[in-house]
Amino acid sequence: MTRRPVRWLGRTLTLVIILLWSLFPLYWALNTSLSTLSAAESKPVHYLPTPLELGNYQQLFGIAGSRSGFATEFGRSLLNGAIESGGAMVLTIVIAVLAAYAFARMNFMFKRVIFVSVLATLLLPAYATLIPLYRIMSSFGLINTYIAVILVYTSGFLPLATWILYNYFNSIPRSLEEAAFVDGASWLGTLIRVVVPVALPGIAAAAIITFLLGWAQFLFPLVLTSDLSAQPVTVVVAALNGQRIVPFTLLMACGVLAAAVPGVIAVVLNRFIIQGVTSGAVK
Amino acid sequence: MVFIAVLSFYPTVVTTIEAFFRVSPLDPPTRFNGLGNFRALFANSAITTSWVNTVVYAATGVVLSTVLGVAGAVALKRRFRLRGLVLAMVILPWALPAVDEAVIWNWMYDPNFGVINSTLRSLHLIGAYHVFLGLDRWLTVVLIEIVQVWQITPLSVLIILAALQAIPLDLYEAARVDGAGAWSAFRRVTLPLIRPAIAVAAVQAIVLSLNVFDQVYVMNGNAPLGSSLMLQTYITTFQDLNFGSGYALSLMVTVATVLLSAAALALIYRRAEAS
Repeated sequence: MTRRPVRWLGRTLTLVIILLWSLFPLYWALNTSLSTLSAAESKPVHYLPTPLELGNYQQLFGIAGSRSGFATEFGRSLLNGAIESGGAMVLTIVIAVLAAYAFARMNFMFKRVIFVSVLATLLLPAYATLIPLYRIMSSFGLINTYIAVILVYTSGFLPLATWILYNYFNSIPRSLEEAAFVDGASWLGTLIRVVVPVALPGIAAAAIITFLLGWAQFLFPLVLTSDLSAQPVTVVVAALNGQRIVPFTLLMACGVLAAAVPGVIAVVLNRFIIQGVTSGAVK
Repeated sequence: MVFIAVLSFYPTVVTTIEAFFRVSPLDPPTRFNGLGNFRALFANSAITTSWVNTVVYAATGVVLSTVLGVAGAVALKRRFRLRGLVLAMVILPWALPAVDEAVIWNWMYDPNFGVINSTLRSLHLIGAYHVFLGLDRWLTVVLIEIVQVWQITPLSVLIILAALQAIPLDLYEAARVDGAGAWSAFRRVTLPLIRPAIAVAAVQAIVLSLNVFDQVYVMNGNAPLGSSLMLQTYITTFQDLNFGSGYALSLMVTVATVLLSAAALALIYRRAEAS
C-alpha cells in the first residue's frame, strides 16, 4: 500500500504539467495585460500583476479619458470578426444540413463519387485554394467585403461540417422519419420538423466548430481584406504586433480580448466540440 | 429532391473542382510559361531555404504532437474529479486563433523582457538573456513549431483519447492474466488498437505543419531564416504579385502534402493490419 500515495502524486503532477502547458501562455498574456508597462518590463518578471493595472482595458473599451481612435478601430475589428465567422457559420450549417441529409438518406446518381470528392477536400491544404479564390473574388469586385470573406470561409468549412452532420444523421433511427412520411409530410418538412430537432446536438457541434474556425482565420482575411471595413481581429492583432508601436501591455490586452470570444465558447461548450471533432475521426 | 440535392451540393462541388483544376500554374500568366515558373522557384534561395525549413517544421510538428498526444490521452483516460473541466482547459489552445497565440508566445520569447528568459535566468539555467528567435536558424524553426504544436496537440489528444476509451477493459484483464506488465500491455494491447487514431492525428499534424503560416508570419517576419513555404507563397503572390510563381509553388506544396499524408496513412494502416 506504500505505492498508492506515490502513484497519486505522479498522477497529480502529470495533470499539473498538462494544465501548466495548456494555460500558462494564456495566463501570461492576461498577466501582462493587467500590468503597467514598467512592471511588464521589469527583470526578473512579476508572475502576478503587481500593481494591478486596468488602464489597458479601460482604454480599449473607451472608458479612460477620451474615447481614442484606437479603441474604436479595435472594436470594429472584433465586430468584423464576429460578422464574418457568424455569417459563415449560418451559411455553412444551412447548406451542410441539406447536403448531409441527402448523403445520409437519399439515393441519387454518382452519390458515392460526389461524397468522396467532397471529403477528399478535407485532406487538401486550404491554402491550395488561396490564389484561385482571391482571383475569383477580385474578378467579382468583392475584395474587402464581408461577402467575400463569408463565402470563402463557407467553401472551406463545408466539407467538415457535412461530414460531422452526415455521421450524426446516420446515428438517428429512420423510423421517426418514416412515420412522418406516412403522415404525408414532404421531404423538406420532415427534415425541418422531425430530423433537425433530434439532430440538434450534432448541429450545435458543427456550428460551434465552424464559428471557432472562422474566428481563427488569418491568411485568407489577410489577403481578402485591406482596411477596417472588413478586417477581422486576427489581422489587426498581427498588424499591431508588426508595427511595434503599441506597448506590449496594450498588445496583450488586445490579444486577450481576441481570445476571449472563442475561449469562453470553448470552455462552456466543450462537450459539443469534443463530440464533433471525434465523431468522424474514430471511424 | 434532386433539385434540392443539387442546390446544396453545388458550392461544395464547385470548390472541389476548383481546388483541383484552378491551381494550374498555366492558368494565370498572360502567356504560356511552361516550366519557367518552376525553374525560377528553384533558383530563388529564399524558397529553397523554405523547402528545407518546412521539412523541419513538419517533422518537428508531427513527432512532438503525436508523442504529446498519446501521452496526454493516456494521462487523461482515467476518470477523476473535475476531469471535464481539465479537458475544457486542454482544448483551449486549439480553439484560439493561431495568430493571437503567436503574438503571445512572441512576447514570452522576448529577448529583453520575456518570461522564458527571466525564468531560465532565475533558475540559473542560462547565464544571460538569449535572443531566441531570428539568430539561429534551427532554434528559430523549432521554437516557432513548438507554438504550432501547442495549438494542434489538443486535437491529437482528443482523437487518441476517443480511441483509448473504446478499448474494452477485459482485454487488459486478459493481458494481466497472461502475465503482462503495464508497459507490455500498453505495447501489445493499447498501441495496436489506437494505431488508426494515431494515423488520423499524425495526418492532420502533417497537413497543418506543412502549411505553417500564421506563426511564421508573426515570429519570423519576411526573413528567409525561418521562412516556410506557405510564407513564400504569400510573399511571391501577394507582395511580389507574381501570381504564376505563386500558383506553381502552392501546387507543389499541395501535391507534397497529399502524397505525404497518403503515405503516412498507408504506412500506419498496413502496420496495423500486419500486427
